[in-house]
Amino acid sequence: MAVDRFLTFGAVVVLFAVFSITAKNFFTMRNVLSLLLQTSTTTLMGIGVTFTIITAGIDLSIGSVVAFTGTVAVIAAIAGVPIWISWIIGLVVGAFCGFLNGLMITGLKLPPFIATLGMTFVVRGVALTITNANAWPAPDAFGALGNNTLFRTGPKFPGIPYPVIVMAIVAVIFHFILRKMRVGRYTYAVGSNEEAARLSGIKVGRIKIINYIICSTLAGLVGVILASRMVTSQPNSASGYELNAIASAVIGGTSLMGGVGTVGGTVIGSFIIGIMTVGLTMQGTNYFMQQIVIGVVVILAVAFDQRRNK
Amino acid sequence: MQEIILDVENVSKSFPGVKALDHVSFDLRKGEVHALVGENGAGKSTLMKILSGVHQPDEGVIRFKGREVHFHDSTQARDAGIGIIYQELNLIPHLSVAANIFIGREPLTRLFTLNEKKMNEDAVAILGRLNIRIDPTITLNRLPISKQQMVEIAKSLSFDSEVLIMDEPTSALTESEIDELFTVIHTLRDRGVGIIYISHRLEELKHIVDRISIFRDGRSVSTDTYSAITMDTIVNRMVGRTLEQKFPARHNVPTEEKILEVRGITRKGVLHDISFDLYRGEILGFAGLMGAGRSELARAIFGADPIDAGTVAMNGKNLTSLSPSESIRAGIAYLSENRKQEGLAVRMKVAENVSMANVAGVSSRMGVISRRRELQACQRYVDELAIRTPSLTQVVNNLSGGNQQKVVVAKWLFCNSKILIFDEPTRGIDVGTKFAIYELIERLAREGVGVIMISSELPEILGMTDRVLVLHEGSLEATLVTKNTTQEEILNFAAGLGGKAERPLNGQSRPVEESTQP
Repeated sequence: MAVDRFLTFGAVVVLFAVFSITAKNFFTMRNVLSLLLQTSTTTLMGIGVTFTIITAGIDLSIGSVVAFTGTVAVIAAIAGVPIWISWIIGLVVGAFCGFLNGLMITGLKLPPFIATLGMTFVVRGVALTITNANAWPAPDAFGALGNNTLFRTGPKFPGIPYPVIVMAIVAVIFHFILRKMRVGRYTYAVGSNEEAARLSGIKVGRIKIINYIICSTLAGLVGVILASRMVTSQPNSASGYELNAIASAVIGGTSLMGGVGTVGGTVIGSFIIGIMTVGLTMQGTNYFMQQIVIGVVVILAVAFDQRRNK
Repeated sequence: MQEIILDVENVSKSFPGVKALDHVSFDLRKGEVHALVGENGAGKSTLMKILSGVHQPDEGVIRFKGREVHFHDSTQARDAGIGIIYQELNLIPHLSVAANIFIGREPLTRLFTLNEKKMNEDAVAILGRLNIRIDPTITLNRLPISKQQMVEIAKSLSFDSEVLIMDEPTSALTESEIDELFTVIHTLRDRGVGIIYISHRLEELKHIVDRISIFRDGRSVSTDTYSAITMDTIVNRMVGRTLEQKFPARHNVPTEEKILEVRGITRKGVLHDISFDLYRGEILGFAGLMGAGRSELARAIFGADPIDAGTVAMNGKNLTSLSPSESIRAGIAYLSENRKQEGLAVRMKVAENVSMANVAGVSSRMGVISRRRELQACQRYVDELAIRTPSLTQVVNNLSGGNQQKVVVAKWLFCNSKILIFDEPTRGIDVGTKFAIYELIERLAREGVGVIMISSELPEILGMTDRVLVLHEGSLEATLVTKNTTQEEILNFAAGLGGKAERPLNGQSRPVEESTQP
């Protein structure tokens, strides 16, 4: 396990080194910070979806939930709710979406793929309906979370963007939850052998619902961050983001069969995608080409994983 | 004497770290059933896999029908005429019987569509050769396991197999199904097929076996005509020492203290109004044929399956919700017969499995797990139960069956369980380890635990329990005091014949009828 992590982390270092040499201005403070900022949202979503994948589930509704929660937060802020409470409303709405996902999966016994696929359409539809599909501008103060930085020293060091700090804190907390806390242990147990877990007295349904709530709450966090960055509601945005999140988890060694995966792995996975996207862009590789490269990397990463686990 | 069809000479095979087969010789005649017995790890499976082409020998010669053969994969062996039926069936549940038999070589029509008609006709013909009547169009998963196994045998036969290897074929079958299987085996033998029969159930060999070879530690210890060898000799040679007794001395004394009261448990179509008590320090057996509802009763008490009526009281206090988590908190543990499917998270570590039902016991009030406390707890049980594992963080999948069983036991001991329900605790476990499991059960009872033991092996019921509940088709037929009963009496109750009627010793060879019972 330690060796595996070392290998994937090695891949990040190698990628970073390669782009530092081949792409001009890649290895500059400004660019590294922008890369961190860009990757932070994928990482947050990836951490959430890792929880559901470990229980042998999946959450396809992430992208829609991001758009929906961002929209709701903006509307709340426009309505005059204090800004920080509007952010929290975004999170709560996200948590509620996850709760519904969990209920459909455990109560109605729907396959996670179907339940969250349905949720994708419903949530997107609600977001479009309440905004009439328009982007609504938020009060300026709403933009603080997405645009402000910490430790700014001037033009040389523009400061660490808040979303990056949020990502770091979230990663540490959820790593701790997954590896050190009962709920994390139960998450692995449910994904590894649901029946054995149930017969060991673990409340499987409750654990699954908690996992979907975690996933959607983090999607809600991303929704708030992205809306804050644009300072507008974007009911049409974030479509397909769940696939980046899932790709991050999978590159990071999370098994779609359940029972296997770590927060650290997912963080590394999302950085592999992030570094490649930014690096290829700066190299001048066009967007279509980038898609091909990322697709190939996902496939190779999993193929490598399969061989190694044989 | 029949000619030798398969001849193995001085075959050796090593895997990293182990010599799985050490200059083994073995031969099989046409039309004979040759039993291969030995403890787990004796080399039976390795030899089987070499014969069926899965592994290749490091040295030695294999002759099939007089010619030296080198199989590179199982397809080659199969096409040559060596078929193998694994313990776990290799069939596709959602396809029809005929589709399963002809999978990979389906007959086509001139328009390149599947020729269902021919496939079904051929399937009937092949099944007919075994005197089996099964509708070839029925979906496989609607058949009981025994019939599915017949389909597997038929499939193998459809390759004109002259050698058939059967690995633990009876492990999932009921008594009457076993009789059906034996009838089929007799039919095959009469047709001149040579059969290698691997089984842990030594008792059943007498019905079918002509010769027996005993393996131990990768070597072939002996080969004898079955009628010329005693059961004791077989067991002694298997374990390499004299097993004075199969069961430990019993010191546990059932108390007067009722620990569990079960009243009127009913689950429609499965369990009918079952009531009984369990006392502290008692070992209570559940006997019955497969499908009698023994596991279902255990699962109902434990709260694993919902029930329609009835109550379970622990120390006089009714359990209200009848869920696994409530039962565990009350001190009831259920050790499933399917260790891998229901008892263990096989990809998780030993320590994580041991603590699984009581993670609270190794974590702080805030729910943070203490790795140190978890490992300490695990180490205690590894020592106490002599679990053989390279480390506490070994993935459970890598342990042997017996040691996996011990991990499950450790899990429940760590919950301070007051009642342990063992469902077929020794299934698939070799003779030496069985004794250790029996000792453990006896010790638990002696220490004041109430034990329920479900077993299909009557000697085990007679050797280990204080009282026996005999179930038949979901009803409690009799509650017997073990030392006053006999195997015959239990069997009669189990067969629903009451206490008197005689049960025919061996099933008659009637054609196997189609069944859609799950």
